[in-house]
Amino acid sequence: MNWYPIFLREILLFGRRLLRLGYVISALLMPLLYLMAFGLGLGNRVAIDGSSYLDYLLPGLIAMSSMINSYTWIANGLTMGRLYFHTFQIYIQAPVSPAAIVWGQVMSGIVRGLFSSLILLGLGFILGSGLELNLIFVIALLVNCLLFSAFGVVVGMKSRSHEDTAIFTNFFIMPMAFFCGTFFPIEQMPWILGLIIHALPLTHTNRLLRTPTLTLETMGSLAVLGAFSILCLGLGVIFIRRYSE
Amino acid sequence: MFQPNYGPEPETAMIVTQELSKYYKHLVALEGLTLKVQPGEIFGLLGPNGAGKTTTIKILTTLARPSRGWARIQGYDVVRQPLEVKRLIGVCPQEVNLDKEMTAYENLSIYGKLYRVPDLKPRIREMLALGELSARARDLVKDFSGGMQRRLLILRALMSRPRLLFLDEPTVGLDPQVRRQLWDLIGQLRAEGITIMLTTHYIEEAEILCDRVGILSRGRLIALDTPQALTAQIGGYVLESLNNGRRQYLLVKDKEEAYLQARGQEAGVIIRQTNLEDVFIQLTGERLQAGD
Repeated sequence: MNWYPIFLREILLFGRRLLRLGYVISALLMPLLYLMAFGLGLGNRVAIDGSSYLDYLLPGLIAMSSMINSYTWIANGLTMGRLYFHTFQIYIQAPVSPAAIVWGQVMSGIVRGLFSSLILLGLGFILGSGLELNLIFVIALLVNCLLFSAFGVVVGMKSRSHEDTAIFTNFFIMPMAFFCGTFFPIEQMPWILGLIIHALPLTHTNRLLRTPTLTLETMGSLAVLGAFSILCLGLGVIFIRRYSE
Repeated sequence: MFQPNYGPEPETAMIVTQELSKYYKHLVALEGLTLKVQPGEIFGLLGPNGAGKTTTIKILTTLARPSRGWARIQGYDVVRQPLEVKRLIGVCPQEVNLDKEMTAYENLSIYGKLYRVPDLKPRIREMLALGELSARARDLVKDFSGGMQRRLLILRALMSRPRLLFLDEPTVGLDPQVRRQLWDLIGQLRAEGITIMLTTHYIEEAEILCDRVGILSRGRLIALDTPQALTAQIGGYVLESLNNGRRQYLLVKDKEEAYLQARGQEAGVIIRQTNLEDVFIQLTGERLQAGD
């Protein structure tokens, strides 16, 4: 599967944009603002489950930021490349399989998601977070990036305009960012809303990042994330295979 | 009824299409295109905007699925065997879809990797030299002129050593001098024996470059032959005159007849050899281009 050139192209473009300071700041502005405002403002005054609010908030922000960065770049890049710059057509006309196109895109989305997560982790530690990293944490973070990159492929292939991508973002990504346990425990939500929230993948990423141990509950969360990932990867391959202008 | 001239019967045609059609809801983009292109031939699709030229290229390069009919590239079906087709072709699209935030070298390198070009670095150097872009290899494409970007687009399509090259409006929007540079480049490719299908709405381009030309109008192939045969069919010369502000054309057999006809005209007339635009006007009653 010749996915590497697709990954390489995306990473080269990512690197070029990283050189622009404004791009990095704008990409990380929202989670950084939350970290500074809530983490510093409430960090020492509010405690959840016996820990400081900063320790509670940091994994949530990492989940949110990795989701947004993985998803946004892929969804916007594919939409713009397909409809406006026509760079996506190079992939379709090249002798590479739909699976290679999806995997190359997803791998580059994972790198972007991890990049933003590392910056937040570094900042969190500077601010005094006592967050402990382990293998489950890393796996959960990787799967989260994979899932939302693959979701980005699905949205990028189905959007008929740049506005369509924004609609997907507003209806799927933003509600997850706010309701899936990023800023507060979901146990406090009304039960009907709680049911919906439990069906959303970011809830399970938050659970795994906050309790990175192997329990029945966290294994269930990993399975949910895995199932969503396979679904999105499969849909991405199908949409690219059926692509026709 | 119009009968296309397929040219000499080949052992193996490079492109064969049969009743190829593409519909978008109520729009007929292409209707019943049947043609053959021989190996080593430069085949031009000529027609105004919306005639179906780009749609044809999109189907042949696996970017669009036909609504009806079929197409084969060296025997491979474009719908059922897309990977085999893609290994044979190079595509230079109408839009400059280079990565402008990357250098010329990087653009060629990524493309070469997609096609698994074995001798990647020497091939990139060879292509840059062919397009006289070696000195600008490490410059970002966004800093290139329009003509340089077009050249790079063609070089990129050549990276994989395609047996069949598609050039969709390769010189659109370029000034005459740059256009001629690109014609020279296409001429070099002809010498290497690469089969080329190009679309254009420039008469001169089709006449200079193409061995045979298919004229498309509103999605239908209305003529197919060599440029010389097509123009000969309508007469060798044309008298252009203005009558009440409207341009009129009179097709005549030869120069003598043209002079005879011109004597009877009150206003000034232009006598010139017929070209493919005259063929198009004769067939459709419309002009091919607005005066490029």
